[in-house]
Amino acid sequence: MSVGLLASATPEQELLLDSSARFIERTMPLPSVRELAAGSGGVDARYLEAAGSLGWFGMLVGEEHGGGTVSGNGLLDAAAVAAERGAVLQPGSFVAANVVAHLLAAEGPRHGGTLARLVAGRARATWVVGDVAGLTPGAGAIVAGEDGAGGFRLAGDVRHVPDAADCDLLVVAARGPRGLTQFLVTADTPGVQVRRMTSLDITRRPGAVRFHDVRVGADAVLGAPGDATAARFEHQVGTAAVLTAAESVGAMHRDLGAAVEYARTRIAFGRPIGSFQAVKHLLADLSLSLEMAKAVVAAAAESLGSGALGSGARDGMDLAHAAKAFVAEQGVELAHGCFQVFGGVGYTWEHDHHLFMRRLAADAVAFGSAQWHRGRLGERIGVG
Amino acid sequence: MRDIAPERDGNAAPERDGNAAPERGDNVPAERGDDTAVPALDEYRARARSWIEANLERLPAPAPRRGGTGPAAIAAGRALQRRLHEAGYAGITWPREYGGQGLGPQYERAFQQEARGYRLPELGIAGGTTFGVCAMTMLAHASADFLRRHIPRILSGEELFVQFFSEPEAGSDLAGVRTRAVRAGEGWVLNGSKIWSSGAYYADWGMCLARTDWDVPKHRGLTWFAVPVTAPGVTVERIRQITGDAEFCQEFFDDVVLGDGDVIGQVNDGWTVAQTMLMFERGGGLSHGTRTTRASTGVAPDLVELARAAGRLADPLTRDLIVRAHVDDVARRALLARLGARMRTDPAQALHLASYAKLVSGVYDPVRADTAMRVGGADAVNWDAVNGDGEPGESLGRKAAVGFLNSRFMSIAGGTNEMQRNSIGERVLGLPREPSFDSGKPFREVLRDARGWSSD
Repeated sequence: MSVGLLASATPEQELLLDSSARFIERTMPLPSVRELAAGSGGVDARYLEAAGSLGWFGMLVGEEHGGGTVSGNGLLDAAAVAAERGAVLQPGSFVAANVVAHLLAAEGPRHGGTLARLVAGRARATWVVGDVAGLTPGAGAIVAGEDGAGGFRLAGDVRHVPDAADCDLLVVAARGPRGLTQFLVTADTPGVQVRRMTSLDITRRPGAVRFHDVRVGADAVLGAPGDATAARFEHQVGTAAVLTAAESVGAMHRDLGAAVEYARTRIAFGRPIGSFQAVKHLLADLSLSLEMAKAVVAAAAESLGSGALGSGARDGMDLAHAAKAFVAEQGVELAHGCFQVFGGVGYTWEHDHHLFMRRLAADAVAFGSAQWHRGRLGERIGVG
Repeated sequence: MRDIAPERDGNAAPERDGNAAPERGDNVPAERGDDTAVPALDEYRARARSWIEANLERLPAPAPRRGGTGPAAIAAGRALQRRLHEAGYAGITWPREYGGQGLGPQYERAFQQEARGYRLPELGIAGGTTFGVCAMTMLAHASADFLRRHIPRILSGEELFVQFFSEPEAGSDLAGVRTRAVRAGEGWVLNGSKIWSSGAYYADWGMCLARTDWDVPKHRGLTWFAVPVTAPGVTVERIRQITGDAEFCQEFFDDVVLGDGDVIGQVNDGWTVAQTMLMFERGGGLSHGTRTTRASTGVAPDLVELARAAGRLADPLTRDLIVRAHVDDVARRALLARLGARMRTDPAQALHLASYAKLVSGVYDPVRADTAMRVGGADAVNWDAVNGDGEPGESLGRKAAVGFLNSRFMSIAGGTNEMQRNSIGERVLGLPREPSFDSGKPFREVLRDARGWSSD
């Protein structure tokens, strides 16, 4: 049963979403997500390669690199898949992997081999975004200095990196001598230290990455440092925000669905509790939030995904900020409301609700909190 | 449009198999049912354009405020409506036997497009109710005799109809109306009171729902009547609203005598007619919802202007309030687009999906109005009666204050938030219904038992 992020999907999109949902149910249903969370490893190679063959990591990448979109708007396709993933709290890098794939595709054939492996699910990539005073995308934490031999030295410490310990490819946003610079660094480069962090969201495996005088060549630089990279970086933030919000929407959908089902079947005072207006109206309000969340995320994906980088991307970015700001707060609100409907059983480890509540709270800050995104929109208002 | 409108009753309402509010004239056949040929669309459009250019007044740009509902404005509206009808441009999609043109909706759209920028008849809120709700309901249910008498006069601007629907003691629970019509010889005698009928003070007729059988369950003893506003025994009073305006009315009926020819639909089958009316009305409700959507550019421009006027635009907390409102605006706009698409792909759910459009206004309008009050601060509480030129002031603060007073309109009118939540909960989410205390027994007993509720 699809989450229905898109109000009307094309037959090709339906096929993509249906095959993705069936793959998830077959391979990584919630009991398996729990098992993985209880263990010490991330998703296995077979899962990733199967996901790759479904197209999960190639939607923002052209066909010449093994990717492709089924609708002409890769971000819209990716958001719809993200919602299906979020509904079953899928682990592993998806948002950051797609951001990295998109970025590498812009390099032409230079990183073609790496990109092909990433798209096929045979490489794992994440995006090391410097955080400023919490989870706000920025490049403040890592400094890139010239090493005098044409290359660079990276130094700094970044926390809250998605799937850091499981990835072999890192894209690092750093302050360089010519402004914002992004580097492609393999995780086994000398001086790169990765440690896992403990997360409220037990279905995910974030980490911290320390760069201790890491030396990279000039060929590690992605794009042109400075303004061009800053523009690209902003677009990456928008993409990550939309995809994260889309995953949240999937989680909201599933949590609310379970709460509605519970209200239909739980008996108290001689009636299903969902027949009481106090419960029914709460669920109706949550359902309104969910419809709005789906609507605003799909609108943002459609807009940001259809504009070429730079031209006309303003609307897409504004919608992305609005979508993330809306979903970050409404997602947590919805988790609270569902918790209230579940009552005592929602307080147990055994019930799945806490997994969704944890996920929604973690997504709320990933790639920018509601406040941070509102701040970006606030910059559009003049002061005079 | 009637404004505190009830919702479909949750309990005994017959389930409609659920098309969206039908678009006017969608089911008009391509043939007009007589031997006149249907004109080609291009030809029709060209002819309409030349008639419009020769006969209608071009509006200055930007379009002036609408003419209001004073006697002179309404008389002018009626006269213009008559000219439109005489020229064959009124009731373009309505049946020819009742004075319409019997053409498809594409002809009406063509005329509307050509007439953009010209003055069309302005008949105020009662005009919207007459053409968009009452006449459409009549065409679906009234007898041929009734339609021959009224529809041509509606099209020529001679008869404006409003709804006599809600009552002081029956709003959301529409099927609980207590205005009664009693058989008397060849006719009926009407007693009771109706409320929230918009524009009744300048209308000619009211479409009135009355109880005609008290010994059957509430949905089965209702009948619709056409009531002349000027009939002996009808008193219309304007209601002064919370804002000080007086657009709505209350009516009192004291032994008003009606004939069998005034009945619309079948006697005691008024609930079926009411369902049709609610469908047209809710269709209007949805477009009402979209009207609140703001321009897609800029961050809540009205609030930015308000903050600037109040000298608080640099305050970071104020700016965050403004951006919050903007984020909600964006999500609301996206929701309406999504609902439109969902209704097209799933017409069976359209009626219930419309509840989201209604509820989003009911929930977010008050929040946004409160935001404006916070942004405006003292300027939204006190303002100068005159501006620097000694003219009556139209301050942004005053606008925020009026918005605050109006902000619960959509939370209550046309079915309260609670009714929408019931509809979403039961019809979309599939939650079980409340037990019913009134759907199975004679309405007479319903009232008696309810009065004894607290002493049980």
